[in-house]
Amino acid sequence: MSAEAGRFVLDGRRLPYEPGDTVAIAILRAGEHPRTGGTLCLAGDCGNCVAEVDGIAYIRTCQTAARAEMDVRRHPAEGAPAWHEDAIAGEIAVRREEADLAVIGAGRSGTAAAAEARRAGRQVTQLDAGHGTEVVAIYAGPTVIARTPEGMLHMRAREVVVATGAAEIQPVCPGNGLAGLFTARAAQQLHAAAVNLGAAVAIGPAPEGVPCTPVLGDLVRFEGAGRVSAVVTLHDGAERSTPCDTVILNLGRSPRDVLSRMADDLPVRVVGSAAEAFPLPPPPTEGIVCPCAGIGVDDLEGVWARGFNELELVKRASLAGTGTCQGSACLPHVRAWIAARSGDVPEPFTARPASRQITLGEAAADVHLDAFRRTPLHDEHVAQGAQMDRFGGWWRPWNYGDQLAEYRAVREAVSLGDVSTLGKFVVAGPDAVEFLQRLYPTDVATIRAGRSRYALLLNERGHVIDDGMICREADDRFVLTFTTGGAGNAEMWMRDWIETWGLRVLLLDRTMSLAAINVTGPRAGELLARIGLVDPPGFLRHIRTELAGVPCHVMRLSFTGEASFELHHAVDRSVELWRRLMDAGQEYGIRPHGLQALFGLRLEKGHVIIGMDTELDTTPRRLGMEWAVNMEKPDFIGRDALARTADLPDHRRLVGLSMSVPAPAEGSPIWASGEVVGHVTSSFTSPTLGQAVMLGWLKRTPFPEHVEIDGRAAAFAAPPFYDPEGLRARA
Amino acid sequence: MRAPEPLRALRLVAASDLLDALTWPDGVAALRFAADDMLALDATTADLADEPAIIEDEVGFVGWWLTLDEVRDQVIPHVDWPLRTARLALAQGLVAGVPAKLWLTEDRALLLCAAAYAHELMDRLP
Repeated sequence: MSAEAGRFVLDGRRLPYEPGDTVAIAILRAGEHPRTGGTLCLAGDCGNCVAEVDGIAYIRTCQTAARAEMDVRRHPAEGAPAWHEDAIAGEIAVRREEADLAVIGAGRSGTAAAAEARRAGRQVTQLDAGHGTEVVAIYAGPTVIARTPEGMLHMRAREVVVATGAAEIQPVCPGNGLAGLFTARAAQQLHAAAVNLGAAVAIGPAPEGVPCTPVLGDLVRFEGAGRVSAVVTLHDGAERSTPCDTVILNLGRSPRDVLSRMADDLPVRVVGSAAEAFPLPPPPTEGIVCPCAGIGVDDLEGVWARGFNELELVKRASLAGTGTCQGSACLPHVRAWIAARSGDVPEPFTARPASRQITLGEAAADVHLDAFRRTPLHDEHVAQGAQMDRFGGWWRPWNYGDQLAEYRAVREAVSLGDVSTLGKFVVAGPDAVEFLQRLYPTDVATIRAGRSRYALLLNERGHVIDDGMICREADDRFVLTFTTGGAGNAEMWMRDWIETWGLRVLLLDRTMSLAAINVTGPRAGELLARIGLVDPPGFLRHIRTELAGVPCHVMRLSFTGEASFELHHAVDRSVELWRRLMDAGQEYGIRPHGLQALFGLRLEKGHVIIGMDTELDTTPRRLGMEWAVNMEKPDFIGRDALARTADLPDHRRLVGLSMSVPAPAEGSPIWASGEVVGHVTSSFTSPTLGQAVMLGWLKRTPFPEHVEIDGRAAAFAAPPFYDPEGLRARA
Repeated sequence: MRAPEPLRALRLVAASDLLDALTWPDGVAALRFAADDMLALDATTADLADEPAIIEDEVGFVGWWLTLDEVRDQVIPHVDWPLRTARLALAQGLVAGVPAKLWLTEDRALLLCAAAYAHELMDRLP
């Protein structure tokens, strides 16, 4: 607290403070209220004293020492406080500590728990807001998060003891938003600070040492304009109004247990008053219950009438308990109110971090942005003018400055694409075939060594979760590829099933150990011959060989629609191989292509991108890809669901569309007869075809015969739009 | 953080009892990523020829050899998991938000990560 007297600024006016004053006490000393009104606890429990302090909103002024020239601004009576961008603090430091036993609270019960633990030989760390360490959360670990003057503390403890004491019950009745209302402990603080309370009356036991007049009877309402001028009580069946300047409320206590309520299933013990089952207050009948969110008894009645008849539902529907104090003021009253209706006293609702307001900077302290991977060719791309962007957890070239030229290089000559980001896995072991037969809807057993096959990956509901290639290398060894963004999930999926089925299967993720370059275009074969590919594999075959001295696994496939060879190789040889390919391809007009061109190239072929053209419940049937599913197989993941739904009507279909240029934006609605019947998932203005080609979902049946997109007619066109016989890919 | 060193290793995936039984010459550090997954730094061969196993040359990792003081000052402030006190020990988790591993010996430590993440660690660690 302040050691010396001084002046601070409240709403632009300079106010004095005395040594030891908090901001709230200094404001009250001046005869004002930190907000517009409401009962003050001065213990940090309620939200009735929060204000903006030095540009930071929602500061509990009762817990903040007054300082010279401190800039305090009351929050507006309605709406949110102003946002001050210039008040954003710099980086918030984080101190990490480990503890055997963390005791939160340095009151009687906390000190006793700490002493007992020390006698038992434990290492104890005590955390208390009064000593500068304000605990705001307990996470799994358990990890205690606290705010300190130096920054945030993240303390991992073997055990946590919550000894945070009890809060005082606040009144709920008409007029409880007036100024001049204090809990008993607040009144004691004010009296000790020599703040003039005027004519004070007490409801409930009068606090020791505080001059006041006890008023008998049950609280009915407060009266006054801005500040309380009288309190009305019901005594012996009659209402009685007692004039006053201040009402001191000693209405009981409730456990201060918000931290323990966010620590379910963690080694967290609650002791002292925080663990006590105090009697609930009488159920409120009128007035504001949740002062933080402005929720009244009538609001509770409204949500109850709509069927929200449990505490958690009442909280969510009414927002009572979601405000500044996180239920400290209103929870006892809401529980009492529900108990009066249901006959059962509900358990307090679950609490979630943070228990009180922290800044975004404090919440984000030492939190890192997602890490994005770079392929070994990253610097090559940048040197060649690539515009890099994030896709599927990797930095990838979007284009190299001329996506049309990149497109033409693929269609007319030869181009390189960095596909190092594809998921790449080795599967081996005595049960490898059995495993893959169960995993995939295609008949893996019929893939011969040296051959490969495109495959969908389905979940138990028959929904497509990924796709890729299956390359068989030997009887019991396969190489699998998955999409860039789906590789991580695919690995978890495979490991889970290997364990579930108890199969003797070995799995190794090679995604970040192997790079891959796609050499694609009508002159790809010529280029590769120049760097040593003497006997190129046929379509959907793969070989291992050396190219330009670099050991490669060469896979012949096609995503672009042209002859394509994926060269998988060790990441430390990738730059060398890339440069050799670029050098050797100069006479063919080689240039690399980015994702922007690739997305158009594959769309001309009608190839879907999982996650872009598919949805979470997309089936092979909805994609028109039943050909990728072999229902003759006795079992595979998703088979039962596909068999069960095969004859049911389906209301969704991914279709190919074409229309005049320009291509509509991806996501554009598809219209039929004045209604939206679907949307475009992929869209491209095809230089080769001279029209816009698209994939899109139809989600209304009967499927329409005529549709419009962007106010123009679009025609259904079965993909592939380009080279439908696939002659170029196989060339 | 300075640039990392490339690491050369063998990657071995096999039944855990087979990996347990492997012996290595001096200078090879065998890091057990999982019960069935091992990275043998500076190893060139492994005696698993007749067993079901995946054995691959591994160049996908890079590393920084650090003094224990450097670990304390540069790494520990950026991890939010407890470090084991036993030595030798392999710790795996996020370092400054980047997937990484820490191989702790009596007198030094190897911080390693996939080469694809190296730039992120270099940016984020002092």
